[in-house]
Amino acid sequence: MHMHKFEKAWLGFGIGALLVFLTVIGVSAFYLGNQPPSCLATIDPEKVDTTAPFNEPGLKKVEGKEWDYELVFVASAFNYNPGEVKVPLGAKVKVMATSKDVVHGFEVAGTNINMMLEPGYISELVTTFDKPGEYLILCNEYCGIGHHMMSSKIEVVE
Amino acid sequence: MAKTELQEKTNTKIETDEGSNLKGTLASVFLLGAFLIVTWVGVYYLYLDRF
Repeated sequence: MHMHKFEKAWLGFGIGALLVFLTVIGVSAFYLGNQPPSCLATIDPEKVDTTAPFNEPGLKKVEGKEWDYELVFVASAFNYNPGEVKVPLGAKVKVMATSKDVVHGFEVAGTNINMMLEPGYISELVTTFDKPGEYLILCNEYCGIGHHMMSSKIEVVE
Repeated sequence: MAKTELQEKTNTKIETDEGSNLKGTLASVFLLGAFLIVTWVGVYYLYLDRF
C-alpha cells in the first residue's frame, strides 16, 4: 500500500496534535484536578429546603477544609436563592448547588463556573475568586416559561 | 434510431503523469492545521485565565 509522503506528513501532524491536546487536558484533569463539576451525591429534591446545607443558602466560612468558604445555592423555577451574594476577593470557595424541581443551569458569566443542576443531585465546584467585580449568574438550561428571567449575582469585593 | 458506430471504439490509453501535484493541498491543510492549533491554544489560555 503506497502512501504519499505528504499524506504521511499530514497524518503525522494530525496524530501529533491530538497527542499533545489529550496530554495537556489529561494532565490538567487527573494531575491538576480540573474536572467537570459534579459530586455524584444525591439529595431528595422534595426535601431540599430541610436538608443541610441547602436549608441555609448563601456564603458560609468553613474551617478545616481545603477551601475557606462554602457558597450554597438552591435553584427553582424561576429563581436562585440567594438572589445576590458578596464574596471576598481571593477567597477559595466551594460552590454547591442543587435544583428543587427541573434541570437548571448555573453559569457565572465570564468565569469557568458552569454546571448543570439536576434535581436529585448536588453539583459542586471549587474555585478562587481572584478578580474583583460583579458577575451575573444565569440559567443556561431551558427550564420553562421564566427561564430567561432566572438570574442571580456574585459581587467579588475587596 | 441511434447512430451506430461505424467502427469499433479504440480504447484510448489513459495517460498517467508523474503523479498529481499535492503541494497546494499540503499547504492548504497545514493552514487549516495552524488555524486549529491557534484556536485551541487560544481557548485553552482563556480557560486558564478565568476563575
